[in-house]
Amino acid sequence: MKILIAISSKEYSAPTLDVGMKIARLLNASTTIVDVGEKINEFSIKDINLANELMETWDMDRPGVDVLEWAYKYLEKNNFINTKHIGEGFPKHSLIDSGTGRAEILLKGSTISNLNLILRNGDIIEELRNEIQVHDYDLTIIGGSGRRNMAHDLVQYIDSSIFIVNSFDSNKKYKILLAVDDSPGTGKAVKYAVRVAQAFDINVDLITVSKDNHFGEGCKRASEKSQKMLRRSGIDYIVHFKKGNPVDTIVKTAGSNHIIIMGASTQSPLTKFFMGSKPLNVIKASDCPVIIVK
Amino acid sequence: MFGFSERSVLNILFWVTRKKWLILSFLLSISFFYIPSPDGLSPEGHRTLIIVSVALILIISESIPLPAVAILILIMEVILGVDTADGVASSFMSDAVFFIMGSLMLAVSIVNQGLDKRLALGVINITGNKTWRIVLGFITISAILSSFIGEHTVGAMMLPVALALIRNSGTETIKSDNLSTILLFSIAYGCAIGSIGTPSGGGRNVIMIGYLSEFGIGNVSYVDWMKFTYPMLLIQIPVVFLILWHTFTPSQRKMDSAVRKLKIKVAKNGKMTPHQILAIAIFLSVFFGWIFLSPRIGLGIVALSGVFLYLSFRLVDWQDISKNTNWGVILLFGSAISLGIQMKETGAALWTAEHILNFLEIIFGDMAIVRWFVAVVVTGVLTNLLSSAATVAVLGPIILDMGGNEIVMGIMTSIASAFAYLTVVASPTIMIIHSTGLISSSDYFKAGWKLFLLSIILLFIISRIYWPSLL
Repeated sequence: MKILIAISSKEYSAPTLDVGMKIARLLNASTTIVDVGEKINEFSIKDINLANELMETWDMDRPGVDVLEWAYKYLEKNNFINTKHIGEGFPKHSLIDSGTGRAEILLKGSTISNLNLILRNGDIIEELRNEIQVHDYDLTIIGGSGRRNMAHDLVQYIDSSIFIVNSFDSNKKYKILLAVDDSPGTGKAVKYAVRVAQAFDINVDLITVSKDNHFGEGCKRASEKSQKMLRRSGIDYIVHFKKGNPVDTIVKTAGSNHIIIMGASTQSPLTKFFMGSKPLNVIKASDCPVIIVK
Repeated sequence: MFGFSERSVLNILFWVTRKKWLILSFLLSISFFYIPSPDGLSPEGHRTLIIVSVALILIISESIPLPAVAILILIMEVILGVDTADGVASSFMSDAVFFIMGSLMLAVSIVNQGLDKRLALGVINITGNKTWRIVLGFITISAILSSFIGEHTVGAMMLPVALALIRNSGTETIKSDNLSTILLFSIAYGCAIGSIGTPSGGGRNVIMIGYLSEFGIGNVSYVDWMKFTYPMLLIQIPVVFLILWHTFTPSQRKMDSAVRKLKIKVAKNGKMTPHQILAIAIFLSVFFGWIFLSPRIGLGIVALSGVFLYLSFRLVDWQDISKNTNWGVILLFGSAISLGIQMKETGAALWTAEHILNFLEIIFGDMAIVRWFVAVVVTGVLTNLLSSAATVAVLGPIILDMGGNEIVMGIMTSIASAFAYLTVVASPTIMIIHSTGLISSSDYFKAGWKLFLLSIILLFIISRIYWPSLL
């Protein structure tokens, strides 16, 4: 299991980092924390390299390293990493620049199997997409963003499962809202829900929504299959069958104290591009964390 | 779908959404190509304008890498039959491109000498520890140095000095704190106003000088240029200071401990090394070469001679130059100048100039004001969208075809292209301070628009009152 946690600034990234590291630790996953800095105009890129090289001779960090350092200290303070093995704290001098807009800080020894801190510059979707394609992550964890189209671009172009940490409060007790229907993505979503529920030791609300009162055979079977999986895994769950618009119903049921888990849409990319999809609309409308499983 | 797998449809969709401007410019160029040439415009001129619009769209939208835009310009010039392959190749290289290449390499050579710490000490010794004196000192030193060495070099060297002060004053983590904002802006705006001072202040000045001699208008020497522009530079120093101080008044009026820590840090470096003295001597000889030799051998050749000396004395390694020189920018300016020359030769520049004049005359009524408006206001606005040198390369030939005193128009355009105060893309120095992440995007506009307006007014007054005495 490989997890990518995308952070942006010291001000807003703490919840993302917190929940991301909890998941990583519980699933014993190899984790990479990435800070995607602003895109640098090509006219100026070499001048900025020059300035950065000079900064090093002054013993100052290049921009972005401070965000990683903050993340490192946050992990240290919250006992996600064990600094005894590293010795001298944040090893900023081990920044390795691969020259392709990706720089990495190598960390040795931590309480989770493998932790990487990396720095990228550019358009966030392009950089994340490239990182995921090259390094093959299973789950991308990212904070909610005010940027227009961000949710669309994430759902459409990011190849891994996505966890959008929308208004997450680490002191709150969450439940999982697992949305199942007859679509092919459901099976994977259920497996994910089981792992997350076991890891956090939390209950599941299993929901199936139909536009009218009639629930098709496929939906019923999907719900039964999911119940069987949850039962076998020893997870407490409640089954809901609800009538209404799927997106509205899921968002309303979730409120702010659930983590929504649902499968990715399996419609063709073109349809999704023009018509949108259920997962996308759920992300846009919801006021709680959402996991879209691919 | 149509035999494509889902994944490839997704990849295509991703490509299309990211490259929409490339596709749009491609479609536009095809449709323009089949529109009959308008009256008074030759077919070659028509096609040259197609290339100009494609290049502008691609540079502003940044949808493909800059070197790719540069190469595309050359390819289109040949394929659209604007010129032969050999003709394009010879318009691609010129002394102006030599100069841009040479000055980018000189920048790397100078930055490598570790002179930044000495510079820091020099500035601080003069200014002392009062914040207002430090800000004024930063503006002055950035402006004067960048007028000779070029703004990007000075920007890179001054940045660590400012950041060292900011970090030692304990405001490091606060975004858009007034102290960090004013110190960083004093570098960026100082470099911007300085870059007009001499031809070597910015590549765009040399592009303009190249056009003036290429089009047979006249030769402007290094010293002639300074006579036109240096008074404006000197007047702008207090103007920038007052605007910045008024907009971002910092709460810390003194920076005792930060200055002390900086001095301790810098003092560790000891005396100036023989290498550093030699490096300064070489730059001074380049400077005198620009003044005394350039009328005969060209500014570009002088700059390259400096690079030759730095390399021969092993003051800089070729690897460093190779790694830190922006070859893409050199390619792009070569192409842009080639395009500018084609605009002149095919009559596209003249046609565009006439249409702009006819259109704007209806609004303003007076031809002199129209010319002034295009040379100053249009250039200033485009600079903030396109970057300054590209603006001069493309707009230069049009402005030089608008009539009036061409040398005055040319220098005015070059000066206006330094009014890059408003956006991040406008100039490398703004991008350098932006990359620190300490300034929020809205701050560029806060002080920038005041400076933009005042610079325009100042340029107007100087060109009316002072310049006539030079002609």
